[in-house]
Amino acid sequence: MILRTDKLTVGYGQKVVVSDINVMLMKGQFVCLLGPNGSGKSTILKTIVRMLMPLGGEVYLNDRDISRMSNQDMAKTTAVVLTEPISAGLLTAYDVVMLGRHPHTGFMGKPTVIDREKVIEVLKMVNAEDIAQRYFTELSDGEKQKTLLARALAQEPQLIVLDEPTSHLDARHRIEVMLILRQLTQEKGVTVIASLHDIDLAMKACDVALLIKDEHVIACGTPEDVLKEELVAELYGMEKATFSGYLGSVELKGNQSGSRIFVVAGAGSGASVYRALIKHSFSVITGILPENDIDYHIATAVGATVVKSPAFNNISQSTYEEALKLLDGVVQVIDAGFPIGALNQFNLDLVRWALDKGKTVHTLRSRLEAEGLYGTNAVRLIYSRDFFELMSAVRRVTSD
Amino acid sequence: MPNPDISTITTEDFLARRWKRFALVLGLFAVGVCIFLLLNIVLGSVTIPLGDTIKVIFGGAGSDEAYSTIIRNIRLPRALGAVLGGAALAVSGLLLQVFFRNPIVGPFVLGISSGASFTVALALLGSYLLGVTVVSSMTLSLAAFIGALLVMGVVLMVASKVRDIITLLVIGLMTGYVASALSSFLVAFAQAENVHRFVIWTMGSFSGFRWEEVRLLAIVGLVLMVASYLLAKPLNAFLLGEDYARSMGVNVKRFRYTVVFLACALAAIVTAFAGPVAFIGLAVPHLARLSLGTSDNRILIPASVLAGAMVTSLCDLLARMLFAPVELPVSATTAIFGAPMVVFFLIKGKTTI
Repeated sequence: MILRTDKLTVGYGQKVVVSDINVMLMKGQFVCLLGPNGSGKSTILKTIVRMLMPLGGEVYLNDRDISRMSNQDMAKTTAVVLTEPISAGLLTAYDVVMLGRHPHTGFMGKPTVIDREKVIEVLKMVNAEDIAQRYFTELSDGEKQKTLLARALAQEPQLIVLDEPTSHLDARHRIEVMLILRQLTQEKGVTVIASLHDIDLAMKACDVALLIKDEHVIACGTPEDVLKEELVAELYGMEKATFSGYLGSVELKGNQSGSRIFVVAGAGSGASVYRALIKHSFSVITGILPENDIDYHIATAVGATVVKSPAFNNISQSTYEEALKLLDGVVQVIDAGFPIGALNQFNLDLVRWALDKGKTVHTLRSRLEAEGLYGTNAVRLIYSRDFFELMSAVRRVTSD
Repeated sequence: MPNPDISTITTEDFLARRWKRFALVLGLFAVGVCIFLLLNIVLGSVTIPLGDTIKVIFGGAGSDEAYSTIIRNIRLPRALGAVLGGAALAVSGLLLQVFFRNPIVGPFVLGISSGASFTVALALLGSYLLGVTVVSSMTLSLAAFIGALLVMGVVLMVASKVRDIITLLVIGLMTGYVASALSSFLVAFAQAENVHRFVIWTMGSFSGFRWEEVRLLAIVGLVLMVASYLLAKPLNAFLLGEDYARSMGVNVKRFRYTVVFLACALAAIVTAFAGPVAFIGLAVPHLARLSLGTSDNRILIPASVLAGAMVTSLCDLLARMLFAPVELPVSATTAIFGAPMVVFFLIKGKTTI
């Protein structure tokens, strides 16, 4: 066990930010702290590395009370990557990483051969060897973050604490940083604690998730167990979005105020259609989707009305009729271009029925394909080659 | 600066090249110190031949007895005073720039010069009230030193208590303002002659430096400068900010105390003998940093010592020679040299701390 907290209360001065924190972290674990802004993630991190004194309780590193450890021992055990930007003057990335050798070098800080080798090694580990000779201030945010991570590694700590390591980073560096951290925990046995804002990255990269809200740790455990839709919604007080554990990401909910559109979809063909419609405040009805269809999960997450059928079962007559009833209530229908197999002929029937009923039916299929499927009725379809055309057509019909 | 061949050289080559640059820059600064030191001895109302100058410096006798007297009693102590004073101010400025993480901070930012000015004004006015008409320069030095120490005491007392160092900076600035206000209060009541002397004193000068002063400045200054050099490692850690320094094992409280003490003491000792010499402590660290291309204090401190000595020697030479026989206050030349340099460096955006 690397880190243990015992009834830890953190805060500033008299103000308690989070209380009664009891966690145990093992060697090589990747731990993330999740919670809304101002919930106290940074305060907890700063207390663990002794930048803040606890207001109550204790923190133990390798079973030693950190309040009794020397500065030198602390520096050899823990390293930090902080979120505040730093200005390193005329220091190169190499120099910044070399500063991390501070607890290991002698009185004047003169680097030995071992220190130089270690610096090169950690620069390689974070794929930053090519930027070693450049001035730190001239690096991009992503390169800076990798350099600061290398600096922390140069301290050869057992525990690295990172405050929002992925903020300000582009998608590539965000993922790169997370992969480096995961590699560290798995290959070097370093324990990593990071506060994160990306629930999806946290879910996909971490071993332990710690959820913090309203002065308390509301959940702690494996992200797969902890990051459920309801808990995440509660954590962030989200009403306009849904975190889907299956998708591992957040979907924005629509306000369902606009005109209703029935989307006939399946096998992922509906995903982008739902998102495009929701974005423009249309009310989305979709079906018929078996519960094992990806479109089912996305439609649920975006808050669409879904006509569903149980997984791996044929659909019942009542489900089909329910779909027809809803279909009858809309003016516009979108055929998302779903693949057709033996088990979803009913969805083709829904489109045919809508065409017979004289509804406006948009399709993302080619003319050739549509003629094969809908015969003579195919001429009445409105064809769109992409989402720009589809959305323009939908809006045109709506405004008429 | 994106260097086209940057990826083609290995880190070892890069470090080796950098050391060559460091050695070259330090060498140039050292040569500069020697040149201006010699010029300061050679040039003046009487020009002394270089051969004689060197002979006298190394304890021989010059071709003219007057040369020996001028060099031994006037020019050499003054030239050495400028060298030592410049070095001390540059180191003081560097320490505070790193400590406050602010490129436009200098040795007097914590109110040292204002404190010294106040006690000098007090000495001039006080002695007048006591009926003493002639105040010796030694008395003024003592007064200045006491004033500088008083302010330093206040700042040090606060240094261990305040939570963040910007508060400390503000307290230093405010202490300075209060001391200045008290000085102007005294000036309002002072005799015109003493006011003139006070104003001249506040502009700084290395003239009239005597051997006992040089000796004192050399001993105290060198001890403080060596002590500053020994602080290079935590100073480097501080380049990333207080939090990172702490996480790397720096005892921040003790470090704070030590840095403020060293920087103030260096500024105080120079101010006692030469008055507040402007801009050396502010501009020279930038000159050193840019010439070296690094913020590494292990190399920057010796470079600042040499550059401070070199630039101050040059400025004192100009102060003496530009409008001879009228002598300018040294702050006039240091400011004319220093202020545009700082602006240029900051606009060029190449320098921070």
